[in-house]
Amino acid sequence: MPRILGVDIPNDKQTRFSLCYIYGIGPYLAGRLCEQAGIDPIKKARELTEDDLAKLASLLDNEYVVEGQLRRQVQQSIARLRDIGCYRGLRHRKGLPVRGQRTRTNARTRKGPRKTVAGKKGVKELR
Amino acid sequence: MGRSLKKGPYVVDRLLEKVARAEASGNREPIKTWARACTIVPEFIGKHFAIHNGRNFIKLYVTEDMVGHKLGEFAPTRTFRIHGGKAAKASKK
Repeated sequence: MPRILGVDIPNDKQTRFSLCYIYGIGPYLAGRLCEQAGIDPIKKARELTEDDLAKLASLLDNEYVVEGQLRRQVQQSIARLRDIGCYRGLRHRKGLPVRGQRTRTNARTRKGPRKTVAGKKGVKELR
Repeated sequence: MGRSLKKGPYVVDRLLEKVARAEASGNREPIKTWARACTIVPEFIGKHFAIHNGRNFIKLYVTEDMVGHKLGEFAPTRTFRIHGGKAAKASKK
């Protein structure tokens, strides 16, 4: 299996889809990368030559923010929000939804598994 | 949805005036304001504000990182009373 940027090992799917396994590359950027590197996007990833891989790697290195660097960028943005104490930062600190979603029900992605409170009205109905 | 760039940031003119006046006179008093929707512009850096949250004025010292946010984002309007435990029951009464 080919390796790009050390960590990512896209498998034997079409290049345009296997590139999506890189953090920060979606379908759109994958297509654009193929174009820039002059690779047929339909070609299977295992058929990529060393040359193709080198071209992709240098493109990703120089023109795009992906993987660790992107992760760090995201973390820093969140840390900035937390530090300045704005509303979004407070929501991040509390682990609640940041973009105004309801929290009376749902919001489980942010809040994590349900913590049932004993004796609370409606607990039976929730089951 | 974001705001159209054509319009530029929403800044309350009166607040800009106040900031300019405070700058000129060297007044360090917090600037009292109800303009929560006003965008923080670079002119506000290093100034103290007192932003209304519906009840009180929340003091805020504006730093560079805050530029581009709205004043209201820094003055929460809701109070969360803790769930569960004796403390919550006591504060209910």
